[in-house]
Amino acid sequence: MIPVTDDPKPFAGTQKAGPLALLRELFRLRVDKSTARVGLVTLCFAGLFLIIGGRLVALAVMSNQGSETHRATASEISAARPDIVDRNGEVLATDVKTVSVFAEPRNIIDKDEAVELLTAVLPDLDARELRDKLGTKKGFVWVKREITPRQQAEVHRLGIPGVGFLPENKRVYPNGPAAAHVLGFANIDNVGIAGIEKYIDGQGLQDLNGAGFNLSAADLKPVQLSLDLRVQHMLREELEKGMTKFKAKAVAGTILDVNTGEVIALVSLPDFDPNNPVDALEKDRMNRVNVGVFEMGSTFKALTTAMALDSGKFTVNSSLDARSGLRYGKFTIGDYHATHRVLTVPEVFIHSSNIGTAKMALGIGVEGHKAFLKKVGQLDRLRTELPESAEPLVPPRWGELNTITIAFGHGIAVAPLQAAMAVCALVNGGNLITPTFLKRSEPEAQSLATRVIKPETSEAMRYVMRLNAANPAGSASAAAIAGYFVGGKTGTAEKVVNGRYSKNKNLTTFTAIMPADKPKYMLLTIMDEPQALPETHGFATAGWNAGPVTGNIIERVGPILGVPPRFEKPQDPFPLMTRLGAWGTR
Amino acid sequence: MIKLLHVIAISALVGSAGYAYSIKYETLYHAAQVAKMKARVQRERDAIAVLRAEWQHLNRPDRLQAAVDRHLDMQPLGVQQIARFSDLPNRPPREDGIGRKLEALGVLEPTATPKDSGTESRTPSTQTPKR
Repeated sequence: MIPVTDDPKPFAGTQKAGPLALLRELFRLRVDKSTARVGLVTLCFAGLFLIIGGRLVALAVMSNQGSETHRATASEISAARPDIVDRNGEVLATDVKTVSVFAEPRNIIDKDEAVELLTAVLPDLDARELRDKLGTKKGFVWVKREITPRQQAEVHRLGIPGVGFLPENKRVYPNGPAAAHVLGFANIDNVGIAGIEKYIDGQGLQDLNGAGFNLSAADLKPVQLSLDLRVQHMLREELEKGMTKFKAKAVAGTILDVNTGEVIALVSLPDFDPNNPVDALEKDRMNRVNVGVFEMGSTFKALTTAMALDSGKFTVNSSLDARSGLRYGKFTIGDYHATHRVLTVPEVFIHSSNIGTAKMALGIGVEGHKAFLKKVGQLDRLRTELPESAEPLVPPRWGELNTITIAFGHGIAVAPLQAAMAVCALVNGGNLITPTFLKRSEPEAQSLATRVIKPETSEAMRYVMRLNAANPAGSASAAAIAGYFVGGKTGTAEKVVNGRYSKNKNLTTFTAIMPADKPKYMLLTIMDEPQALPETHGFATAGWNAGPVTGNIIERVGPILGVPPRFEKPQDPFPLMTRLGAWGTR
Repeated sequence: MIKLLHVIAISALVGSAGYAYSIKYETLYHAAQVAKMKARVQRERDAIAVLRAEWQHLNRPDRLQAAVDRHLDMQPLGVQQIARFSDLPNRPPREDGIGRKLEALGVLEPTATPKDSGTESRTPSTQTPKR
């Protein structure tokens, strides 16, 4: 019999009626047991949903991870880097896609055969090294990076299981050595090793890559430099000519925008091709503008003169006695172009009188001199975007004798870019602006500037630099290209050989500003050990080599830099100097 | 009646299942197309990057310089060759030789055409008066 509803003793019924009754009993609607049953069903559904949810999370987290190889290679392949362009948008460095061969040693069946076949197609592979690599238990090894499409086809035709190809980014520098020292280079993993390339990595690119973000080139904004490729090329070519002509060991030059601190061009020869940077790390090929420190010689007199005029202790009309050498202890400071008379400040500058300049520095005193050089950034390491920089060599104990020699650029060694920065500040109205290799606007630069000298002093400096180029007695006439109203200062420093100043090994420098009445650009040329030539009458000082080379540079880059030539004399370019009646204005 | 309803319900079910399948496969197809397109775009991008690098490589200043030195007899730009707009002389008064000659001959003067006695035109003209 089948028990009907509400049987108070269900067990009695089931015992009687066998399996069918049992089933029926199970599905019977019973109020007393329904809570437990609903609970069971709830549990079942909750479990089901948990499983589905878990699976969804798993799918979302592990999505797009195609194969194991893909995961293994994500950290291995060269990451994309942003393009580097010059101030006009010309490409200086870019990524191109190349193909690299990799192997999965675990999946290679016959390793010896694979080695044999691969070395037959890629002859420059080392067979033993490859065999060792394939012998490991690793999931992924590189066989050869950056192969040609033809080699790719050949390797593909071999059909070795466990050998495959991966596209990679390869850094190329289409302009060759044109801007090598600024750009630096990236290694085969596309990691910046030097120059701006390293700076870009320092800005967080490597961190992103390290965190597993696989950046593509489209995500990266190009980095725009302040360099002008055309100017850069012209500067390099003119310096190269100068280097050959004067048989110099090395030359370097830079062009700065005095109002923004932008480096328009920077060349240091000998240089290297960033596409093939094997010889970039040779000591001889360093960036002399940034990394080298040199005694700048007489170009430093500009700083001393500015300091003297700015202090108020001297005016343009002050006179300095240069009739005889300046004695200090057992040393006597003499003049290279000795005049043996009393000189005014502009005369001291154009005759490049060591005596006069040293007397100016002594008038300010050791502490004042130190403080001024500190203010114009000559005593501290200059840091720009380029990771390479050099600490200036400053005398540890700075006495009066040091002040005397530093006044005319001996006894302190600074990076040329540092000196250039200071000269920019002297002529642009007195604002010290840290040079930059990235494009920036003038208001931006002015907001970063610090005032170091008065505008009136700046005008005096422009005046004496112009006078030095325009006056027949001045030393900078070689660079005075008509039409550009050039001003300049030569500097010849004797090189230290075995701890003494050598008489015939010079480092010649030339700083030029153009146009001198309202400077826009500042040029610096350095020549290391230029030789005297018959046409220089046996002289090897700056006025005979660095000067004319700078003149050639100005002549060539002037039109490109957009400085309009003027052949009429500017109307009263230095009003204050005329009012003061400075030497040379009448 | 009920049977008819069943038939309609079943056919609707089959139809919707078929439609769902077709939608699904269409989606798969389009997804594959998108992936293919993306790959093609990427390939094009890479090709453009290579071409840009090549263009710049061929246009690098020292190569152009060498080519110009070899093939063209041009001189470097001299300071004297640059002029500003303000240096340009003013435009001279228009020189029209033929016109002046004609003027001297008096050909430009209005030709006195016979006029209607009644309608005296105020401005002398070469037009034939309207009749």
